[in-house]
Amino acid sequence: MLLSGMGMLFSCGKSSFLDKKTNSDLIIPTTLSDFQALLDNSILMGVTPALGELSADNYYLDYGFWQTLDAKQHNAYTWAPDIYNGQGKVDDWDLPYQQVFYANVVLEGLPKVSVDSSNRQDWNALKGAALFIRAYAFYNVAQVFAPVYDPASAATDLGIPLRLSTDINAVSFRATLKDTYGQIEKDLQGAESLLPADVPSTNRNRPSKPAALAMLARMYLSMRAYEQAGKCADSCLQIYSRLIDYNSLSTTTILPFTRLNDETLYQSSFITATNLVLKGVVVPNCVVDSVLYGSYASEDLRKQIFYRLNVDGYPNTIGSYNNSIYPFSGLATDEVYLTRAECRARAGDKEGALADLNTLLKTRWVTGNFTSFTAATPEEARDTILLERRKELAFRGLRWTDLRRLNKEGQNITLTRNLNGQLYHLAPNSPLYVLPIPPDVIAFSGMPQNPRPQQ
Amino acid sequence: MGSKRLAVYLLLLACFQQSMSVYCQSTPSITLSERDTPLEKILIVLRDQYGYTFVGDASWTQVAKNVTIYVKNANIREVLDICFKDQPLLYKLKDNRITILSIGQTPPFVRGRLINEKREPVAGVSISIKGSGSSSAISNDNGEFSFRITHPDVDLVITSVNYVDMELPLSGPKDTVIQLKEKISELVDVSVVANNGYQEIPKDRATGSFVQVSNALINRRVSTNILDRLDGVTSSLIFNKNIVSGTNQSAITIRGRSTIAGNPDPLVVVDNFPYNGDINNINPNDVESITVLKDAAAASIWGAFSGNGVIVITTKKGKYNQAPKVSFTTSLTLGRKPDLYYQPILSSGDYIDVEDSLFKWGFYGNPQFASPSTVWSPVIETLMAQKEGLLSAGEAQARINVFRTQDTRQDLARYFYRSSANQQYALNLSGGSAKNKYYFSAGYDKNLANLVRDGYSRVTLNGNNTYSLVPQKLELSTGLFFTASTTQNNNSGSINAVYPYLKLADAQGNALSVPYQLRQSYVDTVGGRQLLDWNYRPLDELRNADNKTTLTDYRINIGIRYAIWKGLEANAYYQYGHGFSNLQNFQSQKTWYTRDQINEYTQVDSTGKLSYPVPMGGILDKRGTSYDANNVRLQLNYTRLLGRDSSHSLNAIAGAELRDVEQQVVTSRLYGYDQNRQNGLPVDYTISYPQYSSPGVSAKIDYTDWNHNLVTSDRYLSYYFNASYSYLQRYTVSASARRDESNLFGVNANQRGVPLWSAGAAWEISKENFYGLGWLPFLKFRVTDGYNGNVDRSVSAYTTASFFGSNPYGAIAASINNPPNPSLRWERINIFNVGVDFAGREHRVEGSLEYYIKTGKDLIGQSPLDPTTGSPVFTGNTANMRANGADINLRTKNIKGLFQWNTFFLFSFVRDKVTSYGQKAGSVYNYLNTGAINPLAGRPLYSVYALKWMGLDTQGNPQGLLNGHVSKDYSSIYTSSDFSNLLYKGPANPPMFGSLRNEFYRKQWGLSFNIVYKFGYYFRRSSIDYSDLFGEVSPGHRDYERRWQHPGDEQYTYVPSMVYPKNPTRDNFYSNSEPLIEKGDHVRLQDIQLSYDLQKKSFPRLPVQSVRLYLYANNIGILWKANHQGIDPDNISDIPNPRTLAMGIKLDL
Repeated sequence: MLLSGMGMLFSCGKSSFLDKKTNSDLIIPTTLSDFQALLDNSILMGVTPALGELSADNYYLDYGFWQTLDAKQHNAYTWAPDIYNGQGKVDDWDLPYQQVFYANVVLEGLPKVSVDSSNRQDWNALKGAALFIRAYAFYNVAQVFAPVYDPASAATDLGIPLRLSTDINAVSFRATLKDTYGQIEKDLQGAESLLPADVPSTNRNRPSKPAALAMLARMYLSMRAYEQAGKCADSCLQIYSRLIDYNSLSTTTILPFTRLNDETLYQSSFITATNLVLKGVVVPNCVVDSVLYGSYASEDLRKQIFYRLNVDGYPNTIGSYNNSIYPFSGLATDEVYLTRAECRARAGDKEGALADLNTLLKTRWVTGNFTSFTAATPEEARDTILLERRKELAFRGLRWTDLRRLNKEGQNITLTRNLNGQLYHLAPNSPLYVLPIPPDVIAFSGMPQNPRPQQ
Repeated sequence: MGSKRLAVYLLLLACFQQSMSVYCQSTPSITLSERDTPLEKILIVLRDQYGYTFVGDASWTQVAKNVTIYVKNANIREVLDICFKDQPLLYKLKDNRITILSIGQTPPFVRGRLINEKREPVAGVSISIKGSGSSSAISNDNGEFSFRITHPDVDLVITSVNYVDMELPLSGPKDTVIQLKEKISELVDVSVVANNGYQEIPKDRATGSFVQVSNALINRRVSTNILDRLDGVTSSLIFNKNIVSGTNQSAITIRGRSTIAGNPDPLVVVDNFPYNGDINNINPNDVESITVLKDAAAASIWGAFSGNGVIVITTKKGKYNQAPKVSFTTSLTLGRKPDLYYQPILSSGDYIDVEDSLFKWGFYGNPQFASPSTVWSPVIETLMAQKEGLLSAGEAQARINVFRTQDTRQDLARYFYRSSANQQYALNLSGGSAKNKYYFSAGYDKNLANLVRDGYSRVTLNGNNTYSLVPQKLELSTGLFFTASTTQNNNSGSINAVYPYLKLADAQGNALSVPYQLRQSYVDTVGGRQLLDWNYRPLDELRNADNKTTLTDYRINIGIRYAIWKGLEANAYYQYGHGFSNLQNFQSQKTWYTRDQINEYTQVDSTGKLSYPVPMGGILDKRGTSYDANNVRLQLNYTRLLGRDSSHSLNAIAGAELRDVEQQVVTSRLYGYDQNRQNGLPVDYTISYPQYSSPGVSAKIDYTDWNHNLVTSDRYLSYYFNASYSYLQRYTVSASARRDESNLFGVNANQRGVPLWSAGAAWEISKENFYGLGWLPFLKFRVTDGYNGNVDRSVSAYTTASFFGSNPYGAIAASINNPPNPSLRWERINIFNVGVDFAGREHRVEGSLEYYIKTGKDLIGQSPLDPTTGSPVFTGNTANMRANGADINLRTKNIKGLFQWNTFFLFSFVRDKVTSYGQKAGSVYNYLNTGAINPLAGRPLYSVYALKWMGLDTQGNPQGLLNGHVSKDYSSIYTSSDFSNLLYKGPANPPMFGSLRNEFYRKQWGLSFNIVYKFGYYFRRSSIDYSDLFGEVSPGHRDYERRWQHPGDEQYTYVPSMVYPKNPTRDNFYSNSEPLIEKGDHVRLQDIQLSYDLQKKSFPRLPVQSVRLYLYANNIGILWKANHQGIDPDNISDIPNPRTLAMGIKLDL
């Protein structure tokens, strides 16, 4: 009797007995709140590659300090053809693709959640956010590891791998540059149509419709599709156009901005763990380029709010829009104003361009000391705007992309490093403007490396 | 709650059901005091005063001698034995009648001869007369014995270590031949009945490999923990030392390592079921025997839990038809203070010299620029004061000279350490009638640890009953085990400061402050009097600590056996286990931690008013851990002898079991806790508060680390089958199969299970007719093959994520743990085992020899993936391991007879290596880092690597090799991907180990000592690391004294020169270089036991049945070691276990 009773126990409840969850801290993400929690992993989601900014000309390094750096940063500083010395696990590549993986987990999970009127808004916002995050990651990788967009050759140029599913067994291959930007554009457009119009008051790590438009504007600008860039920038500012009056900020603290400041559309910073250089005042040996620093007028508050002189009298960066000494690399309205201004100038709308520029810069000057910028021609206005763009958006990760695009249209900017008397140069449109793909990625996937010049 | 009540009920039931009819015989106590008195007179006294009559033939009074006797409360036998001791007479006693026989009728000698089952003479066996200690003899080499007796109607008692004890009536005057039966079982593991947790397997049917540790061997050692008693006496089982956290090492390894990321611990089975509680809950005095299952045939019955071997603990039970037996054991173990001077740190003088140099080099900067968290040592504070003109040079020097004479370890030894004292008491009662057997016990342990204010106490209660409800048909057994313990954990043994010259107390014993976290001059002046005292005084920390863990644990067993029909038996077992441990750490406002929290969060508003976000009062942390385990087993046993002559023997079991273990961990923290109010105060966890000592830094009050609730659930459903068939007790084949299913992997039901199997064969060749080796009367061959399994709980087939608290925007955030892995499988370990068991004549030499090959397949390991997939590392069934080894187990009887000398020799050899592993780290430093597992294919999982050493240069700089050239580019050497730079020195765990135990017996005395040895392994020792020394991470290393100082020193030393500024990569290179690798080989005298046994059988006047007194000395010392650095290889960085001496007594009432 006992035996048969126990026998029943064994057979009946078997499947439910073994269905019990093993660990309360573990989840298999299936609900909207699970997906939101994954996208709210701001430690992972809020980072962008630092290699572009490391290769740009906003700063220079002390020779002794440069010698202590690891291979990647050491070599990237001098634009060496191979920068990794065989070492894989490069955060600048790996972390954006982890963001893509998270986004894909959400994008694959969402269709399994039944949608009704009670959760449609959240569902849309999550899908939009996942699309935005994927596009944001693809774009950031493309700025470092893919060539500059050129409509003439984009259909044959190699872009980056576009991972669109969570299947880890699928082999990675490089899509064409056209497909790369096509995917980014498509994802951002999808995000733009799904995301809420309001910039979140607290969760500034979550994207919104204005953020998607700002990102589209940034992407089109990098492609030199100025008309579309201007349109998107305009659409963004139609919804959200707030600026901070820098007169309201402290010039003594090293963290003058709050994380939820009025200009920020989407919060992001450079990767931190393997980034030993771009750490503001913590690394006094990373010094702001003296020409850049010297270009700020004395009444320009940015000189005090962006920088601080170290004990040796050299300028370092201080806290930015992310309330952190690590430079901010997200999206903010000041960038959108400058994009619209540049696109208006390029479209011949000199007045419109100058109006945008002056609206922005008025908030940067000591109250009462600002004189509006003027220009004789749209071209002159464009050049003024480009100069102010560099000053406003220094250490935001945008300079590298701007250098690539501006050299493409003949600005002919040569970068120079001086290390203990030894000079290093980066010629305009050099293939070294496209950084090498990490060796472990090449080894696993067999994808072609970016062309390297003979040393 | 309900189960607790049930437990109490069962215990009461068990108690009341006992019919404790204590059997008692009444004989008059005789007191006599006679000197040189005629025998007849004494007999008359016995008659008149005590009621004995006496008769005898007439002549006896003429030959009887006078007697001298002084006895008090003696029994009649004792009195008569004394009276007739030297008489030419014998006596017979029947009821109250004494018959006196003269020598002519019966000889006063007994003669006889002892033989074994092979009719060979047996020497060295003691023969005595029952109830008399005076007459006894030892058999000689021909097995013959003779001794004088005082009366003819006696029982002979024959006791021997090697033969079954016998009692037989004296069969008259003629010489007696007595055949003895060998008892092999308790002595050599090849010959026992092994309990594998499901069944008992007799020696002659065993094909598998197991070790049985007998009760005597378990009791040889004195310890609180049962598993400790296996150390050094169990073949192929090793206790791992120098365990590094984060490397998944187990405390015990059986036959080498066979998993990487999975559970590395052997399965511990207590009374049929896996034990989920703390092993400390088991009182060693309640343990009858331990069986260690080593190969597939022995262990695969445990299926997916058996990959690391199985330790089966069987607790004591009563016996049917046995008079009640009460036994009491107590012991006191005293241990010396640990030797704090074992660690080779810098002397105070050298340390101050280094500080002085650093100060001169400007290392400490300027006092006016230092932040409050720039902590300076007392010496540097003195030098700074001198620099600022607050002290004269003479005053400063005088102060520093005082520091040179001080040693922190003096105060540490005085206030933080003490001699340990462990007390153990155990009382048990067992017995049984024809229908019932029972065992009850109570145990109490109280340990005062070497660390002042640390200790452990334990109470264990145990009751089990077996009822024969229908004789030979239906049996019911119940068992209840209860443990309650308290652990005091108030003393870390260290003081959070590296300076070797600190004083911790003044002459009156008042605690002194030491530099910690904040600079002393800041602490002295900060906040006026508004803040709480911010001094850190280690001695007060020790005095004010209040950190204890209380634990309760109980197990309830119920079992039913029902004999169905002719050898077929059904069993059902149920076990419920529940344990709850509650850690409570109350850090009152007197403790530095709480004062620091309150001070750091103190806010000052614009009017200067203070507020306290962390409220005044103590901080109470709690951590509750509980488990509930339900086990159900249904099993059919079939045992049958078949054939006309019963030459076929079949034995089979089949069954199914369910296991459900739920564990819960709850942590909580209360701020502002008041012990009287027993309540905390609310705090705001959401606001970031500027910290008082560093206003630029803001922090939230810690919440997530302290308030958590975790529930884990492990469920298993298993089916098993095991059968063996023997023919003529010569040929045996065995097979087993098991399938385990679990909720672990979260996959579809049909992928949840793993089938595991084993098969084996044995051949007792010595039973064959053609067998002719007379010198080797027992010889048996065994071979087995099969699979064991293992579980890794950390992996899943689905994409899993875990929440990790909130992001900076206040939203809950989660991270993905692993990508989906639909092909996840269980780890499998194949074990092939061959063995031979043998015994020489008279068991003078016996033992076993085994060889095995273990192959770990589908082991969970990490392999790299294309990072573009979004998961750079993949955890899955990617690794394989292989081990081979041999176990030798020898026992010799060197001297037999009155004085006995036996030797037990164990030798285990095991070589394991990773045969394939997906991920190879890019740089050599990954393999030098000992804090993580980095398997390299072809090497043992735990290996010791070093960087090639090219000597010191003429400036005292260490030199290595890079791309084939001598190099000082330490960073490149360290991060090189050129693996020829990486020298493999050898395994980190001993591939050869064992013990040599000698036992000596003479009469009641027993002496044994155990020598343990480990060979063939390596370790990396520490040396001077100047960066750590300068950075006050470590107090330095004595190698400092041997450092390079002048050109030419490089010919005599390999210790690099001290350079400033510090060069961490140079220190790192040296720390990982060849000269610091040492051989771990050593031989240790582990312990000595001296015992004295008295049996009532031999000493009738003993007020109890038997007494055993013993002394046990443990951790005696190293006899030989390969390294010349004074390092105990079992304690590379820790202080070795101090010597202990235990004294104990065991009484059987």
